[in-house]
Amino acid sequence: MLPQASDLGWDGNVLGLDSWGSAELVTLAGDSVKGHFFITHYAVAGAKGATKEFIDRYNAAYGYVSSLLSVILFTVDKETGLSLLPASMSLYLFPVIIIIGGIAAGIVGLLVAIPSFKTRDDYLAIITIAVNFIIITALNNMDFVGGSRGYMGMKKVIYGMEDVFKFPYMLFWVITFAIFTVFLIRRFITSTYGKGIIAIKQDEVAAEIMSVDTNHMKLVAFMFSSGLAGISGGLFAHVIGYVNPGSFSILKSTEALVMVYLAGMGSLSGSVISAILFTILLELLRPLQIFKWVLIPLILILVMQFRPEGLMGDKELSHFFPKLKKYYKFK
Amino acid sequence: MLEIKDLKVRYGNIEALHGISFTVNKGEIVTLIGSNGAGKTTTLLSLSRLPKPEAPTVVSGDILYNGESLLKVPPHEIVSKKRIALVPEGRHIFGNLTVNENLEIATYALDKGADVKAGYDQVYTLFPRLYERRKQRSESLSGGEQQMLAVGRALMSGADFIMLDEPSMGLAPVLVQDMFKAMKVMNESGMTILLIEQNARIALQFAHRGYVINTGEIVATGTGAELMQDPEVKKAYLGG
Repeated sequence: MLPQASDLGWDGNVLGLDSWGSAELVTLAGDSVKGHFFITHYAVAGAKGATKEFIDRYNAAYGYVSSLLSVILFTVDKETGLSLLPASMSLYLFPVIIIIGGIAAGIVGLLVAIPSFKTRDDYLAIITIAVNFIIITALNNMDFVGGSRGYMGMKKVIYGMEDVFKFPYMLFWVITFAIFTVFLIRRFITSTYGKGIIAIKQDEVAAEIMSVDTNHMKLVAFMFSSGLAGISGGLFAHVIGYVNPGSFSILKSTEALVMVYLAGMGSLSGSVISAILFTILLELLRPLQIFKWVLIPLILILVMQFRPEGLMGDKELSHFFPKLKKYYKFK
Repeated sequence: MLEIKDLKVRYGNIEALHGISFTVNKGEIVTLIGSNGAGKTTTLLSLSRLPKPEAPTVVSGDILYNGESLLKVPPHEIVSKKRIALVPEGRHIFGNLTVNENLEIATYALDKGADVKAGYDQVYTLFPRLYERRKQRSESLSGGEQQMLAVGRALMSGADFIMLDEPSMGLAPVLVQDMFKAMKVMNESGMTILLIEQNARIALQFAHRGYVINTGEIVATGTGAELMQDPEVKKAYLGG
């Protein structure tokens, strides 16, 4: 299994992996996208329109930085041979480590939150791209995480867990965290706090004169969304078993972006649906290889042309199927 | 209530206000009139302390509100602590929210346990039109209704001092009259109002006192009636 992982790793493109179960990949992408959805739609409070996508990019990088962090934490107990903690412990500690990764990413999110106080729109986007490059370059030159060769060893932990008790751990945790993420976001945007953020997104001046502390809100939004992206990054690393700086380039966040635009920027249930649909589509188009990246932008262009508000706009699932309201309150 | 002392502000290297001073007493309607580029909006923005990209930098002078300087107060606290509301030029309402939601967002500034319902009542009595349209998306409102909403939103935030920036802008004369009458009602129920207007005639008609501002300096002052009679003001702003 290990040589396989490194083979796959060397091609540097996560999407080039064939050997891991599609089901896992679907849910994984689903999760990372919810993180991204949040980033694009709510967190990038100050930015408008196209700017959001750039910010998304930078945030993806951050998220995955934290995945490295969580990976490091994780492999400490196994890879060194002298495990700091017995393998059975990782059974319980796994979610804790993923969350620590998220917190670490949240703190890194500060790096862009602070320039966002005084910079807006396209200028903020430029800063975020710059930060993305800084992070990737830094990682490329850090030997303790393998530099550009990437970092692995996470699979050993998973195997260690499976030795104790056979169970599809990653599938379970990805789904759990996906649900957790959606739950958190929903709670957040329906809170008074979240309304402040939506207000900033719409009109920063108006938000300010409505006594929203915009700087504070941006800080919260950036840290929260980076944290979620960090969690999805941690999960990503453990599913694939390998991370390298190249995995977190603009292409990766473009995928997430397409999912969000496809869904409609104001719809939580829409983005979940479109994350699933889009991932299936990616898998179906896999035989086309590089032409996939001709088709996918084309889809984006068509969506922008004929349905600029996305599939669902700012409507939730319950708008189309009112009976669902009985079971679940969307907003 | 509000005292501006020798305020000098600049945008970048360009000084926009060359040391203006004026006062607004409690319960008054005070108007600041002047032509385009005179510094009216700049004055308001300095008062509301909006964040950098919009607001000018204060070079010297002071803004005192009930004896305390506003210069160190962060913009969001201008509303939530000092209870000063701004109705900005161009309204800045939340277009994709309904009228009711726009008002609801303004309650963000209120303390816990504040009487929100009384606020709605006040706004909807003042502007029955808004009540009719309370479930409508606010971008679908007419210009006059949007202006009402912007004022209503300021009322909801629990302010006792409201600054209005060009409430007559883009409105039909009838609606302008309505808007100013509503302002008068607000004033009679205890609201202090600072009004920035290009439409000098109507502003002076409704205001207790007025200041004329020209290229960053106050050039004339007096009660509304006095300024209306002032030959200079007449010539420059009232069309002879």
